[in-house]
Amino acid sequence: MKCVEFERVLPEYLEGNYLPAQQAHLQTCAACSNLLADLKLISEQAKSLIASHEPSPALWNALEERLRREGLIRQAQPSGFRLRSFSSRWRLAWLVPVAAAIAIGTVVKLHYPMKAGDTQPVVRQESIPAPPAKPISSEDLQLLTTVAERPPAQRAKYRANLDDANSFIRDAEQSAKQDPSDIFMQQMLINAYEQKQMLYDLAVYRSEPGEQ
Amino acid sequence: MRTQRALRAATVLMFAGMAFGTSTVRKDLHFRVGKHPTVSINNPYGPITVRAGAPQQVVVVAMLHSDRVELDQSQSRNRINLVSHLLPGADSISGVVEYEVLVPPDADVTLHADTGTLHAEKLHGDLTMEGVNAAMEVVDCADGHVHLKTLNGNVNLTNVRNGHVEVVSMNGDVVMTGVSGPYVSVNSNSGRIQYDGDFGGEGEYNFISHTGNIEAMAPPYASIDVLARSNQGPVESDFSLEPKHAPFISRTGSAFTGTLGKAASSVRLFSFSGKIHLKKRQN
Repeated sequence: MKCVEFERVLPEYLEGNYLPAQQAHLQTCAACSNLLADLKLISEQAKSLIASHEPSPALWNALEERLRREGLIRQAQPSGFRLRSFSSRWRLAWLVPVAAAIAIGTVVKLHYPMKAGDTQPVVRQESIPAPPAKPISSEDLQLLTTVAERPPAQRAKYRANLDDANSFIRDAEQSAKQDPSDIFMQQMLINAYEQKQMLYDLAVYRSEPGEQ
Repeated sequence: MRTQRALRAATVLMFAGMAFGTSTVRKDLHFRVGKHPTVSINNPYGPITVRAGAPQQVVVVAMLHSDRVELDQSQSRNRINLVSHLLPGADSISGVVEYEVLVPPDADVTLHADTGTLHAEKLHGDLTMEGVNAAMEVVDCADGHVHLKTLNGNVNLTNVRNGHVEVVSMNGDVVMTGVSGPYVSVNSNSGRIQYDGDFGGEGEYNFISHTGNIEAMAPPYASIDVLARSNQGPVESDFSLEPKHAPFISRTGSAFTGTLGKAASSVRLFSFSGKIHLKKRQN
């Protein structure tokens, strides 16, 4: 049995349905047995978090209200130009990959410290990339951590692309603040966040166990 | 002269064959499928070419460049999943796998690669491509959704009809030739956006960039309602557009708006600091 086959039946395995072949694979594969152990741990931890950390609808409403007050989002415009229909959903939707990147990145980083293209062995508790020239947010730091094990050239490209996406967001935000009724800039802001979301998507996708 | 050239070509081919043949392993796969199958290929390093073939079968030829990569395959009814599984020590050279794939024309195809070229041809199903540095080519496709995401690879769309096209690119150039449909959207950061087509299909065409230039070329008979604006860059149109009221046109930056013909399609060309040029095709 290969790792990828074992990962496919992991959910059933966690529920206690397993075959001798899966057991045998676990005994010979340190990566999969470690993955299983950590997933069990996360599963236990998650049970205690579900009740207390679910954000209330009031929180989302307050967030939306604040964005409106700051002029970063507005009601639909009467103009002929219409924002794309998903624009209202976008505000929350882009947070999903960010959260996913944080969660998945952490798990994956623990289990797959060595990526293709690396020529040097790496330790499990890998530090984050070299100190950046510009200050970066904790979310961006998480993305860079997710790609930390990739070849240096690829890491550098992620960093450069992240800077580009942030620069786009900054420009659009500043312009939107100067003129909150400028739907052109609102569209720009949506596109800028879409680019950043893509960065997260691609970083997380490559890090999934199936790609090893 | 001709003999010398032939001899040189034969020598090059011989050495190339020797180099290629030493470690490359060919795998041939054949899957029976029903109507509208889904084919997903994840190949970190190397090109993937997907073309329309016979109905109800998927044929895969994979060239593995070393024993540090293996091919994982699975089929669940109409869904086929292929993964280039990198083994410890694999890198961007030893991990290369080249795919040549024939799928039924109505197949939904998802391709993912970090490097190498992703190429899709003559498909009528939905197509998704994702890549970090992979160049992307979509040729002669129609009727499906075409969703492409890339960080640094260039994107070329040629003769894509009646599609719902969405491209997100950071630094790669996006070049579209003969692309039309109900929805065509390109979101680029610094990559150039170039369009050469008729803006047909009574569609919505949104091309947006941060710093990349936008160049759209349309025929004199185009039927469009166009709005172009760059916050910090110049905008230019070769057409004499029919004036149209636009509430934000007088704000910062350069802009133009107007209609051409019956204004059947909506065209939005927005950039923060890139140059925008709506060109008239001379033919």
